[in-house]
Amino acid sequence: MNAILAATVKTPDIDWGALGPLIALTVGACVVLMTGLLRSPAARTNLVPALATLTLIVAGALAIGQWDSNADVLEEALRMDNLALAMTVLFCFAGVLTVALSLRDLAPRDAGHGEYYALLLVAVMGMVVLASAQNLVTVFLGFEVLSIPLYVLCATHLSSEGSLESGLKYLIIGSVGSACLLYGLALLYGATGATDFDAIAQAVGGGEIRGDVLFLSALALILTGLAFKASVAPFHQWTPDVYEGAPTPVTAFMAVATKAAALAIIVRLFDVAVVGAVDDWAPAMAALAVITMLVGNVGAIGQSSVKRMLAYSSVAQAGYMLVGVIVSTRLGVQALTFYLVAYVLMNMAAFAVIVARERETGLGDDISALRGLGAERPTLAWPITIAMLALAGFPATMGFWGKIYLIDAAVDNGWAWLGVAIVLGSSLSLVYYLRVVAAVWMPSLESSVAVAARPAGARPIMAGASPEADDVADTRAGAVPAGGDTPTASTARGTHEERTDADIGDGRDPSGRDRAADRDHVGRDHRHVHQPEVVLVAVACAAAVLLLGVFPDPLFDVARDVGEAFGNFD
Amino acid sequence: MIRSYLPALVFVVLGSGVGIAFAVLNGLLGRKRAVAAKSDPYECGLPSDVQNGFRFGISFYLIAMLFILFDIEVLFLYPVAIQLEAFGVFALVETIIFVVLLMVAFVYVWRRGALEWK
Amino acid sequence: MNIPLSIMLFWPAVLGLLAAVLPRGLARFVELAGAFVPLAYVVVLVLDFDPAGGPQYVTDVPWIPELGVRYSLAIDGLNLWLVVLTTVLFAASALWIAFRPVHHSPRLFAFHFGIAETAVLGALFAQDLALFVLFFDLMLVPIYFLVGQWGEGDRVAATVKLVIYTLVGSLLMLAAAVATGVLVAQANDQPLSFAINDLIGNTLSPTTQNWLFLGFALAFLVKMPAFPFQGWMPDGYRAMPLPVLVFFSGVVSKVAVYGFLRIVLPILPDAALDFQMPLMILGVISILYGSAMAFTQTNTRLILGYSSMAQLGFIIIGIFSLTAEGAQGAILQAVNHGLVVAPVFFIIVLLAERAGGSEDIRDMGGLALRAPVLAGLFLIAAMATLAIPGSANFVGEFLILLGAFKSELVIAALAFVGVAMASVYMLRMFIRTMHNRTGPAVESRELGVRDAMVIVPLVLAILAFGLYPQRALEQSENSARASIRAVQERTGAGTQAAAKPSLTREGRTATASGETHP
Repeated sequence: MNAILAATVKTPDIDWGALGPLIALTVGACVVLMTGLLRSPAARTNLVPALATLTLIVAGALAIGQWDSNADVLEEALRMDNLALAMTVLFCFAGVLTVALSLRDLAPRDAGHGEYYALLLVAVMGMVVLASAQNLVTVFLGFEVLSIPLYVLCATHLSSEGSLESGLKYLIIGSVGSACLLYGLALLYGATGATDFDAIAQAVGGGEIRGDVLFLSALALILTGLAFKASVAPFHQWTPDVYEGAPTPVTAFMAVATKAAALAIIVRLFDVAVVGAVDDWAPAMAALAVITMLVGNVGAIGQSSVKRMLAYSSVAQAGYMLVGVIVSTRLGVQALTFYLVAYVLMNMAAFAVIVARERETGLGDDISALRGLGAERPTLAWPITIAMLALAGFPATMGFWGKIYLIDAAVDNGWAWLGVAIVLGSSLSLVYYLRVVAAVWMPSLESSVAVAARPAGARPIMAGASPEADDVADTRAGAVPAGGDTPTASTARGTHEERTDADIGDGRDPSGRDRAADRDHVGRDHRHVHQPEVVLVAVACAAAVLLLGVFPDPLFDVARDVGEAFGNFD
Repeated sequence: MIRSYLPALVFVVLGSGVGIAFAVLNGLLGRKRAVAAKSDPYECGLPSDVQNGFRFGISFYLIAMLFILFDIEVLFLYPVAIQLEAFGVFALVETIIFVVLLMVAFVYVWRRGALEWK
Repeated sequence: MNIPLSIMLFWPAVLGLLAAVLPRGLARFVELAGAFVPLAYVVVLVLDFDPAGGPQYVTDVPWIPELGVRYSLAIDGLNLWLVVLTTVLFAASALWIAFRPVHHSPRLFAFHFGIAETAVLGALFAQDLALFVLFFDLMLVPIYFLVGQWGEGDRVAATVKLVIYTLVGSLLMLAAAVATGVLVAQANDQPLSFAINDLIGNTLSPTTQNWLFLGFALAFLVKMPAFPFQGWMPDGYRAMPLPVLVFFSGVVSKVAVYGFLRIVLPILPDAALDFQMPLMILGVISILYGSAMAFTQTNTRLILGYSSMAQLGFIIIGIFSLTAEGAQGAILQAVNHGLVVAPVFFIIVLLAERAGGSEDIRDMGGLALRAPVLAGLFLIAAMATLAIPGSANFVGEFLILLGAFKSELVIAALAFVGVAMASVYMLRMFIRTMHNRTGPAVESRELGVRDAMVIVPLVLAILAFGLYPQRALEQSENSARASIRAVQERTGAGTQAAAKPSLTREGRTATASGETHP
């Protein structure tokens, strides 16, 4: 007792500037929560999202402002190096887009605007902590601060049973993940005697604990815990269910930001702290990566819900990105960073389109909601087309360079077979990505395939009632297996032909309302919701995917800067 | 190694020893009167045999949870109190920030009506 | 003369984009401009090209330094005539579309059409492996949309099949290309570079080369298609809208041929030697299988599809004879085949129109009755396909067989069977459609002026090329030799290498004189 009292307590040296993004997010979350309590509905619905956006922008700007500073914060609990900063910007960016997607969503209305956006900001804060963690304790802190708001956010669409189920499922599975992680962190501390990454790296680098059972179990448990969060197979089973049930803007946020945060900490833990034991963990992680690619790509093939499809696709993409960790070189980190940015943009474009169509069609996220989009809504059709092609790795998109970069990194360090695995995985993925594109531009396939392949208990798709299905019935003359009767086939076809080209390119939709009216009497619930911000998100992300696909240099520079944060590869 | 754990060991042994001793003594020496309430695990609070369809006020749990939350938060103030002089102004600022965060939570709870008994 | 290739390369895509935003009535005219300006450009290129020089009109700037990718374009003897073919066929297709507009969404069609031309040209121009792969894969995107949206029959299933088949190959090539760049950089201890010149003369071990070779070869063989990889072809050919089929069959499959000569032989010479025999056997099987199938099919598109397969079998044999004659013959034959197959496809449309909409030869017959010009044009194209002396195909096949004789006698003998079979299936098709018993719904009439404006120039081009192939031969000779130089160095026979050029020259002059004065 006396010893403790006598010790001079050193006040921690706090770099407030470097903490800027975190402070901004915390203050913002509090302010947003308080604003949400105001009585005026206008303030709640407009001011709250505006404040949330402002907070995210400020936090992102503060992060950009300290680029290259490599500041150690809070006694090396956090380090704001370029990886942390790049991730912070990415999270804030994803957050802003999520706010835009949520603006007209039911979820914030159900759960309360203040709560919804405050939770979002806290989740972003948790991600920032996680991505900048330099200490096992901080890792777990960040992990939980990021997870708990997301459990709640998944369930914010209170009127939907699916949303509640999604939240509950995520909570339970996420807790298992957290428990594994915590156990692993504790064992790692036990094995190395340190919680600080640099100290762990030293202990591991010494070589005495290599092959130590305690150490290996620690790695396995940590990897398992983080794999839950990054939805790496075989710890991915929650992903499709949770993604499908959660409100779509939340799904979008989870798919991009959570995965980015999980991969950021995976790369930090494995490529910095325990990189000395790379021979121990790399084969296991490589096996996980290949299983993940396989499971994700195969799982996505049969899905008719686009959200489930994207969930499986995100599993597969996690597999590709793990390759960047496994190779454990600076090049790998750079490739991972590049791919993460590409991944965020590609997925955000896709999810924005799904959000828009959910509100317009009443078909939910079923692939039939996208059918004929090319003729109807080019401003939504192009973004999802570009997103799908980019995810499949077609050239002139970011996805192409991302894959090349990953393969480059893999071959460079003697993991050529992982490069081949990426390529084979991408080949599999073509089946489902192209299916979406086909639904958008070539309506016939989906109506015939979907009707035939749909299990009896699935969501009723109004066979014979949608104009596209009628088109098909008309052109394919009875080739539709269960098309039902098509009373308005010929008339519907006539209007379809005329409008097919009506609004290509200019993006405006002059006859939109008439068309909607046409459709309504045929039976398809078709609203034209005014939601410019969602369309804007989709178009902007898709444009960025293309633009950075043709001129990827700036992003390569960022990736190089991030790679330099990994001083251990010098 | 073992020496450093000795106090804990002693504590565990003493703690369980005293507990067991009193329970056993009670059983041996005490007078036994069979009353229905006595066979309950707790002599106060809700009846423990909850039947199907039994409804209870959610407010109770809400308030209990809030109490635990705010109660535990206060725990964090103890270490600061002990070392207040050593930390100086730093501790003051930290404590103020901490309390402000608590206040935000409190205002939220209050304004959302979680404290009202429904 | 400095002719910037970038303008030619991106002109079609930019005009395609323009067509997509202008009023829909203008689409086909913008499309026309998009296809004809490169054609004019290419005329200048052919006249200006220096056969003695190496790569010309070079554009070479770093694009993505981080990955060692350069934006590097050039023309040499290897790609010059394929570029000519590309621009000619796209111009013909554009003209065809201008006369017979697509039945819906002309603006989108023009957009995809322009992107397709840019992608093909880009793959031909590229002097950087990554750039080549990029354009090679990019070709698929517009074709996917063109077939899926404007195709016939079961178009969506066909286009998905086509894209998956070919992209699986392409993606393996992507991996192989990246691996080539990285491994060469490691072996030479240089920074990463994908410039083809930097990759030539590498010291990769034969085993590594074999693996990389498989990646490239698969992509190219699927694209052609060669024997076991033709699964997508029947459906694809049946579903493709005709103007698309013209440039797809005529040009896109030739990019694969070009890929072998540009990339595989120079960069992976050891593997090329190792795989010489298997590939030549594949070539022979393609010839025999393609010919046999072409003989049994009744759908005119499929007859042409399988005949293309047989022709590409020839080309594979030419390439993998690993002689200068074979390589030169392969280039020439690639151009010839594209040039010949295009008018025949257009004629098929006309035939189908006259046979009650059916593309089946059983529904045709007697079409020549009142259409002597049409029949004449068809005859010329058919004769050129079966490589009658006097056609450029004759020169091409002669060179290929010459090369094959020098390297593998048995293969050459088997390939000769293919020559004979070509006459069987082409003449069968000609006779069944033009003569024979008149089909049930056949109504013979002469071709219209507009159709003639597309088909006649193409047939004239066949004739012109047949009468005067020297220019193409001269311009491609150096490059063809350069393409197999690495392989010949590996075979090591210095005497052989010294002997070859003289033989080549003899062979070529003999051929040329042999058919200019029949």
